[in-house]
Amino acid sequence: MGNKQTVFTHEQLEEYQVGVMSGALTGLFYRYQDLAPQLVPLDYTSCPDVKVPYELIGTMPELKDNPFRLRIAQVFSEDGDGHMTLNNFLDMFSVMSEMAPRDLKAYYAFKIYGVCRAGDFNNDDYICMWDLEQTVTKLTRGELSAEEVSLVCEKVLDEADGDHDGRLSLEDFQNMILRAPDFLR
Amino acid sequence: MLSGDQVNEIVINVENVPSGVQNHRSSNLSVPATKSGVNSSFGVVSSVSGIDVTEPQVYSRRNDRKAKQLLRFSPLKELFSQTHHSPDLVDMDTPCTSHENIQGRQKLIASLIPMTSRDRIKAIRNQPRTMEEKRKLRRMVDKEKSKQPRRIFELNCCTQCLNSISLAYRRCRNILSELLNSISLWQKTLKIIGGKFGTSVLSYFNFLRWLLKFNIFSFIVTFSFITIPQFTVGGNNAFKFTGLEFFTGAGYFTDTVMYYGFYTNSTIRHQSGGASYNMQLAYIFTVAACLIICFFSLLFSMARYFRNNFINPHIYSRGIAKLIFCWDFTITHEKAVKLKQKNLSTEIRENLSEILQENVKLTLNQQLTRLSVHLAAWVVSTGVAIACCVAVYFLAENNLEFLKSHQNPGAVLLLPFVVSCINLAVPRFYSMFGLLEHYEVPRQEVYVLLIRNIFLKISIIGILCYYWLHNVALAGEECWETLIGQEIYRLLLMDFVFSLADSFLGEFLRRIIGMQFITSLGLQEFDIARNVLELIYAQTLVWIGTFFCPLLPFIQMITLFIMFYVKNISLMMNFQPPSKAWRASQMMTFFIFLLFFPSFTGVLCTLAITIWRLKPSAECGPFRGLPFFIHSIYSWIDTLSKSPSYLWVVWIYRHLIGSVHFFFILTLIVLIITYLYWQITEGRKIMIRLLHEQIINEGKDKMFLIEKLAKLQDTERRANPGSFTLERTDVEEPGPLYSQEHEAAHVVFHVSSFLEEALPNDCKAAFSASSVNWPDLSHGPHL
Repeated sequence: MGNKQTVFTHEQLEEYQVGVMSGALTGLFYRYQDLAPQLVPLDYTSCPDVKVPYELIGTMPELKDNPFRLRIAQVFSEDGDGHMTLNNFLDMFSVMSEMAPRDLKAYYAFKIYGVCRAGDFNNDDYICMWDLEQTVTKLTRGELSAEEVSLVCEKVLDEADGDHDGRLSLEDFQNMILRAPDFLR
Repeated sequence: MLSGDQVNEIVINVENVPSGVQNHRSSNLSVPATKSGVNSSFGVVSSVSGIDVTEPQVYSRRNDRKAKQLLRFSPLKELFSQTHHSPDLVDMDTPCTSHENIQGRQKLIASLIPMTSRDRIKAIRNQPRTMEEKRKLRRMVDKEKSKQPRRIFELNCCTQCLNSISLAYRRCRNILSELLNSISLWQKTLKIIGGKFGTSVLSYFNFLRWLLKFNIFSFIVTFSFITIPQFTVGGNNAFKFTGLEFFTGAGYFTDTVMYYGFYTNSTIRHQSGGASYNMQLAYIFTVAACLIICFFSLLFSMARYFRNNFINPHIYSRGIAKLIFCWDFTITHEKAVKLKQKNLSTEIRENLSEILQENVKLTLNQQLTRLSVHLAAWVVSTGVAIACCVAVYFLAENNLEFLKSHQNPGAVLLLPFVVSCINLAVPRFYSMFGLLEHYEVPRQEVYVLLIRNIFLKISIIGILCYYWLHNVALAGEECWETLIGQEIYRLLLMDFVFSLADSFLGEFLRRIIGMQFITSLGLQEFDIARNVLELIYAQTLVWIGTFFCPLLPFIQMITLFIMFYVKNISLMMNFQPPSKAWRASQMMTFFIFLLFFPSFTGVLCTLAITIWRLKPSAECGPFRGLPFFIHSIYSWIDTLSKSPSYLWVVWIYRHLIGSVHFFFILTLIVLIITYLYWQITEGRKIMIRLLHEQIINEGKDKMFLIEKLAKLQDTERRANPGSFTLERTDVEEPGPLYSQEHEAAHVVFHVSSFLEEALPNDCKAAFSASSVNWPDLSHGPHL
């Protein structure tokens, strides 16, 4: 079985330090490898270009039951389609970990909630009405009726939209999150 | 045609128009000196990706200037938003955008170079970038750093010293914080609890762990400074050991280090001429040190919670937005997720119905009825609390005679038993009031319940303290301090036994009833408030008792340790996740405030009265024979004043601690500072309100400009129907709204470049500005 020396070269370990805490790297790599043992080689010294498809990522215990798992995978993946390389995987874990600062988490949470852009064409930073409706539906799993959902979205925009332009910018989101200290503990 | 720079300036200026001005803005143009490159590329960028690049940049820049303090890395957002999903754009060939790009990046690199490599890695790690970008950034920083000429250290040794000291200090702090993080107790268990039950139940366990830290610290301090020296001077134990001591604390334990009475009042000296250890001073200083450190620790925690949780009173929100966006990402269990979703929908529905009903006004009759019900509930609850206190007092008074008539040593347990029964039954009685009373805001109900319970518990402790200090201390018993210590020990132990019984039997029975017999009840929910109050009650007793029974923190340590595991097991077996969002951090603020205000300050008062007013017992303990406890300090100061090398201590004591003038001046200074800070806070609130209004006005300005643009486009289209070309590139279908926007964007784009040439100057200005806002077209009038 590979130990640290055969999986990554020394330089690679040094480089990865900017992304993940040094102790976590090996553990995370093995988790990544476990998801797709045939796809992911044990030897990363040659930096292979391997992507684990979203279907396998979605089976991880942390993500399996999360209603936002598709969106999380899309935000962190290379092309926005949910298939993640090792770098993307490490990014995701480092942001989702407890050690990540709140600002960083708030930034990514904003991207996660901003569902509606499917291509990279329109990845500007807003949460529009459509995003809100998608979020509410995911959160309540269809328990609310359509008009309740739209009423809720209207109220959210009322409360949170600071400049009254009909959608939430990153600043509106952060303003709101700052007043909700239970966020992402 | 306008040059690139001029376009920039005009654009920037429009955004700086003062609020409230909603007319045609072109007359207010002036040319400020601003940074270039904001939105330079109207004529230059014509590809699809260019729109991505410029538009986020503009918004980031504008928002950056206004909201810089909100986001630590906001100056770099523009860098992020264009590089995160399209890394190839970093090397765009358009001169102005890459110039902007490089500028921002150079700022970042410049800020990273002076840091130590550890800090640098940490700072890069906290950037919102992908791994590839972070590595690139690090390489660039390293390259830049190596390029800088190595400064020959001409600094004198003073600055060198300071540098090395600060470096060592920073390194120490980093190591310490990493160490503390790694040895955190029960980390995994807490994660599991949080995953299954959410952050609210987790906050109870965190509180328990925090109290455990207090007790561990107190124990270490008292054990090392008081108990260990006492061990070296042993005494004889006249009692026999029977098993009952664990419950009564009396008997064999009376003559051990456990109680005050065992401690010697002598100055311990092991070798003649060797170091001497004054037990009196050690005792009083150790207890004082424990309490002072607890005080500061509580104060800082409370301040930190207040700072994080203070709600801005200007922007009151009902909290729907918080409900939506505060999905608890720590929940991983499938059933818990489903349950949380169900609860969330129920809560959203309740919130909606509240909103819909908030316009319903109650008639005068209804208001009066509600008020009278509240009043009656308060009267009853206060009455019950006072009745309990009176009962406890009478029981305590008659306890002595009762004990003399009954020779059973277990009879001392009657008083603690009654107190624990009261603590068990009356809070549940208070909860029943909730069925009768109606509150508009459900949170009020929780607060009212908490206040009633804390009033009950604090008044019971208060009446017991009064009894101890008034009756027991003055009754002429020998070793009254030991007696008090034993009483407190018994109270604590009985409380612990009752909690265990409650967890093992009560909750278990409730689960059996809920699951087998009356299935409509289902599983119960963890009552966080009641459990936290029990912890606060126990901690108050421990703080009072440390003076009389120095090993009490050790006992409380063991108790808390066991309680953690018991509660954890019971939680997993007998409870379901809470249905209402609990707002854990607001509650924690309130709990820590409760811990500080009635609890800790009460302890300080009690101990102050003991030390300044009571006469120590003549036969036992470190203060035997003194007229007051405080006289030990007085005599110490007297002895110090005779030796010449410690006169400064005497001076400090006489002129600072003992002097009224000093405290008067200090109080005056503190009041002045408080007043100034209060005024500053008021000023900041006003500023927040003004800024908020400004943001709203800017939004209105934006809408005005969009309408203007749309009108101009209409007139142009009617004038020249053939001169527009719609470029549609092959992009995947993002969503129904956005293909429309995309078209509109291109229309605007080409319109703007066309019109730049054709229109007079002032129209061009308004135009260039408004074409920035192309996504808004989906909300404005449709083209």
